[in-house]
Amino acid sequence: MIKPLDVAAGLMLATALVLGLVVPPDAVQGDLQRMMYVHVPSAWLAYLSFATTLVAGIAYLRTRRMRWDHIAGASGEVGVVFTGLALVTGSIWGKPVWGVWWTWDARLVLTAVMFFVYLGYLALRRSFDDPEVRARRASVYGIVAVAQIPLVHFSVVWWRGLHQPATVLRPGDPQIDGPLLAALLAAVFAFTVVFAALVSRRAEVNRLEDLIAAPSAGEPVAGSGVAVPPIVGGGR
Amino acid sequence: MIRHIAILFRAHLRDERRAGEVTLVIVPFGMVALLVVPMAIGIDTPLLDRIGPGLFWVVLLLFGTLVSQRQSASLSESRRDTLTLLGVDPAARFAAAAMAGTVLLTLFAVVAGTVTFMLYDPEIANPAWLGAILPLTCAGLAMVGTIATAVTSGPGARSSLAPLLVVPVSVPLLLAAAQATEGLRASAGILRWLLLLCVVDVILALAGVLTARPLEES
Repeated sequence: MIKPLDVAAGLMLATALVLGLVVPPDAVQGDLQRMMYVHVPSAWLAYLSFATTLVAGIAYLRTRRMRWDHIAGASGEVGVVFTGLALVTGSIWGKPVWGVWWTWDARLVLTAVMFFVYLGYLALRRSFDDPEVRARRASVYGIVAVAQIPLVHFSVVWWRGLHQPATVLRPGDPQIDGPLLAALLAAVFAFTVVFAALVSRRAEVNRLEDLIAAPSAGEPVAGSGVAVPPIVGGGR
Repeated sequence: MIRHIAILFRAHLRDERRAGEVTLVIVPFGMVALLVVPMAIGIDTPLLDRIGPGLFWVVLLLFGTLVSQRQSASLSESRRDTLTLLGVDPAARFAAAAMAGTVLLTLFAVVAGTVTFMLYDPEIANPAWLGAILPLTCAGLAMVGTIATAVTSGPGARSSLAPLLVVPVSVPLLLAAAQATEGLRASAGILRWLLLLCVVDVILALAGVLTARPLEES
């Protein structure tokens, strides 16, 4: 069943795509700059996914409701995809502009570290069969890992700084032309709605996977003498 | 609580002394790693002098995960249940494991550092500062390792997962330690990096203590 959020995500993505293609090219970088309409929103979603995983992890530990864990897991998976996309698009853009596929810039290193933290988080989630054990441990790791991200940020900024400073979110006037800024903001907004739609869908899949994995009524859970009782008015 | 930490800390070290996993396996393995690098990159003495300290920190980070994952660090189910029944706070267990890990990692670092000085001959002004940098780095690595061990322990869990969890999260420790050492080489200020090490350690200690109970429920 198609949800209204899916339709909104599709429409906004199409609008952002059209805007990204019709706005004039950058005066210096030409059409290559259009890569930013994918790269910047992907990087934004990488941070948003991390924040969502953190908040959902804390919410799970406080309430013990599996819904929060499903959201945290979904956000982690979507985060890996968009962090990878940010790295790849940045690398493709960097080759003609900087002359290299990769450079030891602070923000690049930070994004790569985030990518591997996410991968670890997902690998951890996959290594437990019991949903509650998985939820508790993934929440703890999610909190510890995300708490480290600001420190990673400062450490790599102190270490190196080559990546261009903020263009839009800077004090004073943004250093970007109006139509280009509009296309960029439309892309960021569209990607955010896509993120919400994907997390919503994936969280639902996580819930169904847990339901399928759970022992059904009548199934022995502690020898043949103890079985799962039937759930009145529900169950699978 | 402090008495519990002290007893568990001694128990961890006693277990390790009996097993000898760090001293007889991981330390020699780390030394071999330091020895084979020049064979891979060539006998360029100025280059080896330049990369020696950085190589030392990389070896400490990677082999530190092995120290954290040592057999004697993991509690059996029955032992854990006994401690729970005895009313030992999970935070005390975390603190004792992290402290034991710090001691063992510092031991590893001292041996590896000595070997690095012998093989690579790096020039470091004010090596006394290493007396602060080493324990702070080892404490941070031990705490990350202890949390990762707790998160990946238990039936069905993959212990091989721990290094993937530890290494990306330890980036601030690696950068701070390596840059502080570089500062010593260049006779530059290192207080910023020491401050970073202290902040990371405090945050990890808080995270370890606050999340000990939810992990215990597992």
